[in-house]
Amino acid sequence: MSAVKKNILEWIVFAVSLILVMGVIGYLSYDAATLGNNPPDIQVRLGASEQRTKRFVIPVTVKNAGDETAEGVRVEVKLKLDGADAETGELEFPFVPRGGQREGFVAFNSDPNAGRLETRVLGYEKP
Amino acid sequence: MRRSIADSTREYARGIAGGLLFSLPLLYTMEMWFAGLTVRPSRLIGYVLVTYVLLLGYNRYAGLREDASFAEVAIDSVEEMGLGLVVATVVLWLCGRLTGEMTGAEIINQIVVEAMTVAIGVSVGTAQLGGEGQPESGEQHDEDKPRDDNNDNDDAERQSPKDEISFNGQLVIAMCGAVLFAANVAPTEEILVVAIESSPLKLLGLSVMSLVFGVLLLTYSEFHGASKFVRADGARMVAMNAFITYAVALLASSLILWFFGRFDGESLEICVAQTVVLGVAGALGASAGRLLLQVGNAH
Repeated sequence: MSAVKKNILEWIVFAVSLILVMGVIGYLSYDAATLGNNPPDIQVRLGASEQRTKRFVIPVTVKNAGDETAEGVRVEVKLKLDGADAETGELEFPFVPRGGQREGFVAFNSDPNAGRLETRVLGYEKP
Repeated sequence: MRRSIADSTREYARGIAGGLLFSLPLLYTMEMWFAGLTVRPSRLIGYVLVTYVLLLGYNRYAGLREDASFAEVAIDSVEEMGLGLVVATVVLWLCGRLTGEMTGAEIINQIVVEAMTVAIGVSVGTAQLGGEGQPESGEQHDEDKPRDDNNDNDDAERQSPKDEISFNGQLVIAMCGAVLFAANVAPTEEILVVAIESSPLKLLGLSVMSLVFGVLLLTYSEFHGASKFVRADGARMVAMNAFITYAVALLASSLILWFFGRFDGESLEICVAQTVVLGVAGALGASAGRLLLQVGNAH
């Protein structure tokens, strides 16, 4: 190493680069070592309904608890009034990565607070 | 002899310009962002290591300071990777690809997927952009450096004239060129579509076209350095060179396709077809790489 001649700027760039590269490799190794093989596991959570112009919207959060990314996740939310299906909302998330979550909204014409909501994951693809 | 701060700043600026020049198409490609979301970390580690080896090879054979010791080449390669990571992070962030709702893994994977091609671009940019007519650049310092500094066993190879780039060196540079070009189209859906829809005869046509490109670029073109670097005396040498270049291109193409998960769950026929389709870009890159990327050494 004695043959390497660098000025202070080059040493700084090298030091920062080395930290970044080592950090990335270290992180990826840790991630690879701790990652399991569970298929995507999509969980849906609904928030409180909010009133917007002429409709009610409900925040939908999907979370992937599996170890693989799910692509094209389709979620259905059914509003039941007096025990019968009144309205159905549907939405799609292009990607829900492992451990990640995405948010969206479904819209209904009737007040969801008057009835009961049911959620269902319709399907998703392996990327 | 140390370079001045101004010199090294200029060198880094060239590197960053090169990194952006060669990899902006990828930074602006949706499939690349999604690749970061779906790739498995073990595969990503392999990608980082392969890129590092390519950087080592490129810096060794086509780098700015060709009398560099292994330590210097290794250090330069780390710097280029670091610059690649920083450039990729800044561009992705400015493009709104790194958002608060993403997990750490998503953000880091996305950056790493992009940063590796940026790093090769940085390497090429540092060595190739604006090297000519610059009194402060490499050459002068090469002379200042005492010859007995190099006590590696590579001495003989180093002291040989610049146009005598070894066969290994040419392979490494061809590989870098192939990766740089092929990576720009590899993650796109189009490769798969062409591979699925083309008849075997047309695929053969693409394959022949790649070989013809190789022959043309390596021998008959007016490209700077064509006659100098490729010892193409005689039809046999031309054919051999074109086949070797195409083989490198196919190897690079299949590696990249595998990395982007394009081989996952596909039949062997489709895998081969995709490799051939991407191989056109790879062959162009490999041939051009052998000529263009080493033009800097011709001065």
